[in-house]
Amino acid sequence: MIEVRELAKSFGDTSVLRGINLTLEQGQVLVLIGPSGSGKSTLLRCLNVLEIPTSGTITIGKVRLEFRPNSKPRKADVLAMRRQSGMVFQAYHLFPHFTALQNVMEGQITVRRRPKNEARTKALQLLAKVGLADRIDAYPHQLSGGQQQRVGIARAMSIDPELLLFDEPTSALDPELVREVLKVIRELAEEGRTMIIVTHEMKFAREVADRIILLDEGVIVEEGLPEQIFSQPREARTRQFLSLLMEEK
Amino acid sequence: MDQQTNLDIFTDSFLPLLQAGIAFTVPLTLISFVLGLVLALLTALAGLSDFYPLVLVARFYVWIIRGTPLLVQLFIIFYGLPSLGILINAFPAAVIGFTLSVGAYGSEIIRAAIVSIPKGQWEAAFSLGETRLQALRRIILPQAARVSVPPLSNSFISLVKDTSLAATVTVTELFQKGQQITAAVYEPLLIYCEVALIYLIFCTVLALLQRQLEMYFNRYFTA
Repeated sequence: MIEVRELAKSFGDTSVLRGINLTLEQGQVLVLIGPSGSGKSTLLRCLNVLEIPTSGTITIGKVRLEFRPNSKPRKADVLAMRRQSGMVFQAYHLFPHFTALQNVMEGQITVRRRPKNEARTKALQLLAKVGLADRIDAYPHQLSGGQQQRVGIARAMSIDPELLLFDEPTSALDPELVREVLKVIRELAEEGRTMIIVTHEMKFAREVADRIILLDEGVIVEEGLPEQIFSQPREARTRQFLSLLMEEK
Repeated sequence: MDQQTNLDIFTDSFLPLLQAGIAFTVPLTLISFVLGLVLALLTALAGLSDFYPLVLVARFYVWIIRGTPLLVQLFIIFYGLPSLGILINAFPAAVIGFTLSVGAYGSEIIRAAIVSIPKGQWEAAFSLGETRLQALRRIILPQAARVSVPPLSNSFISLVKDTSLAATVTVTELFQKGQQITAAVYEPLLIYCEVALIYLIFCTVLALLQRQLEMYFNRYFTA
């Protein structure tokens, strides 16, 4: 189970997240939507402790970490928390000096301390799962954006995290490559992976989400089932955001 | 006795000069560069550390070495330190001088290379749960090494030629040997051109090695 209590994050005087509370059961998919600058990415990055929250508590599985203003969390606690979640980045951030296979083996070897052959077997399985069994020896620059992002997904899963985090996984992709990535994420959802996804793909959000949260100016504006959020939004700001998106399309 | 022709002088002095180069210039360069690179890496990491006193130490060292002539540094080590009771033989004194120099200039190259690696690479490593040291060793430094090859090769080639300064602290390296032969045969133009030629040969070999090294490090970008 994932639980976030009163999570806040400020950069200097700018507060980006102000008291976020959310709970996610195992196997659920939560989609975060909201205008740019609303704090969606920061929330994901706090869950992966790439940003140190200013205050609040995060629980992922068996690991619980409380943050207090002006006190740095212990390094070991940060590492333990990071290992609970796998992150898929908007710009992939694959390791360019490693092949696809090595990218997916890296965390298994350094973090999970698996023997090489075991890590290799697991990496092969994961790459097959994302449809890249035939490209295991390719370097990132030899892969299309969609293929790189699928390696990114396999890499995030390689450390067996409780939770998968997707930070706008298709925003950097050419339109024709979006589908192959969304297909993989959809399959993971069907398998019962616990995931939090930040996306602007509303059709996809509606299909894949168990629950949707609309974030604006660092607070949760509305939370609900996809049907309810898209068909009968309760809040004016939700309606405003959704209609803005419709205009764009 | 027949008068020696220029060609005879050239051929007779070539081997002694080459020997001086191989016995002193090459080891002086190699030892100083390897030690200097270790020092450069440590200084670069100190300069990037969160611990401010360490940053200050790194900056101070680079400031002193870059701000004073290498020739003067060599004189301080070899002729100056004995006044403090620190006696260092000519060769190790030269090694110390050149190592400190490579360490200072190299640290700036390595620091810049580390900083040039996109932040996303650190974050990707951290997101897997890697420690700072793991991320540095496995993800950042291999990529920084590739970026550093051309500027570090420059330093290396400069060092080959800078080792001629060791002549001033009595190391009988290539240039010193040239001076000795010139004193005996009095053909400065010929002998010093010959000395220059041997430096040129050394540097050409190094430039070829640099190409190989660049190709090796670029393998994952041009494969």
